[in-house]
Amino acid sequence: MEALGINFNLFLAQVINFGVVVGALFYLLYKPVLKMLRDRTERIEQSLQESDQVQEQLDNARRDYDAEIARARQEAATILSQAQERARSQETEIVSQARQDADRIRTEAREQAEQERDQMLREVKDQVAGLVTMTASRVLQAELAAQGHDRLINESLEALGRQ
Amino acid sequence: MFSWLSRLRNYLLAHPRTTILVTVVAAVTIVSTYCIPTGEPHVEVKAEPLFYIIGSAENPFFPFVNSFTIMLIADVLVIGLAFWATRNMQMVPRGLQNIVEMTIEALYNLFSTINRTYVARAFPLAATLFLYVLACNLLGLIPGVGSIGVCHEYHGSESVEGEAAAGGIFFMRAEGEEGAPADPNPYDTCPPGEILVPLFRTPSADLNFTFGIATIAWVYIEYLGFKSLGRGYLRKFFNTNGIMSVVGIFEFIGELVKLPAFAFRLFGNIFAGEVVLVVLAFLIPLFLPMPLYVFELFVAFIQAFIFAVLTMAFITVATTGHEEEHAEEHDDHATYPQREIEPEPQH
Repeated sequence: MEALGINFNLFLAQVINFGVVVGALFYLLYKPVLKMLRDRTERIEQSLQESDQVQEQLDNARRDYDAEIARARQEAATILSQAQERARSQETEIVSQARQDADRIRTEAREQAEQERDQMLREVKDQVAGLVTMTASRVLQAELAAQGHDRLINESLEALGRQ
Repeated sequence: MFSWLSRLRNYLLAHPRTTILVTVVAAVTIVSTYCIPTGEPHVEVKAEPLFYIIGSAENPFFPFVNSFTIMLIADVLVIGLAFWATRNMQMVPRGLQNIVEMTIEALYNLFSTINRTYVARAFPLAATLFLYVLACNLLGLIPGVGSIGVCHEYHGSESVEGEAAAGGIFFMRAEGEEGAPADPNPYDTCPPGEILVPLFRTPSADLNFTFGIATIAWVYIEYLGFKSLGRGYLRKFFNTNGIMSVVGIFEFIGELVKLPAFAFRLFGNIFAGEVVLVVLAFLIPLFLPMPLYVFELFVAFIQAFIFAVLTMAFITVATTGHEEEHAEEHDDHATYPQREIEPEPQH
């Protein structure tokens, strides 16, 4: 052993030295580096989980958004159709109202025209009666009795009415 | 028969620049062998004392040997690098932290594939074995290690002859009557009667170091074996189970041999590499050692790797009982897909 240079004290010194190196590297290198690797792995896994959660939330939000948009579109379509329906009914109502008004105005106009005609006829009749009376009295040059006068007027008027 | 010669001739004629370069390099290499002064190769199996911390040359209780220098440099380098890399760790790694994390993670994953159960416990030892031995091996390849030294008194032929037989100091020179070199090499830097003791020597080429780390690894392997299997660990070696009792004895011997195998494997590879480099540099100083230098870089890495991986592999062997091995074999057979036998068609 001595020829190979093996010396117990040197051997012991090498063992102690290597033990010190193992201890130093354990505290200075392996412990912090392995801890950092573990922490990083956990953080990456956590980030991936959070990313999945965010993605899920995003998908949910997108689904909600799409549903909301669809509902809004449906509501808009409903409102539009209701508005169109209401407009159509109002149009019908307005048109019928206008027709009724037109009919009423026409009826009123007609009645008024008839009334005016009747009144005109009555006035014309009165004037004609006066003219007839005056004409007849001038033609006949004779004064009739009061009763015979009235009777003659009425007969003349009836004759005019028949005409 | 000599078709390769004609092919070589044709190639050299077709590439005059390459031909000139090869010729010049060959000429310089050959000329350098005679012209460049080189000292005789100093090959020493033992780590040589530079001074004595406790004791003296006559009573060397605790010498400061030249492998201690590289050992201390490796200590400072490895621990300093670890401190520097981890002093301000960031969640997003950059620079040295990135490299260190990548190395540690790669080692951890590698050791996990060998032994997933004990990797957390054994990782500091196995990783340090790899990193520290690698640092020592690489530091030992720096030019100057083994060639820069101090002149010490030469202790004569008795030690030379005695140690040469056991692989000690080995000089390729004649010896005088007094034991000192009779025909000193004119290129030696030391005066006659003295030899150059290198200031630096890689610890991996010092058996005290290799035995030291091998002992630590071996003791830890046995400790985990006992802790894992309890008395069952001893039953792997000593049992009365027929032929297994004989196998157990062989396993016990193999278990004991692991320690010197660890130590001598590392020592032999690194020391032999140094010797090859030194002798080749002595014989042909220019160019030729370069490919071997590359090879030694590879050996430096692979030996550190083997030491660490074998430690983990032996931990796996030590912590696995015979019953588990058989169970695993049984499971392996059980997991083979069973061939379905198709019924014969009936006519």
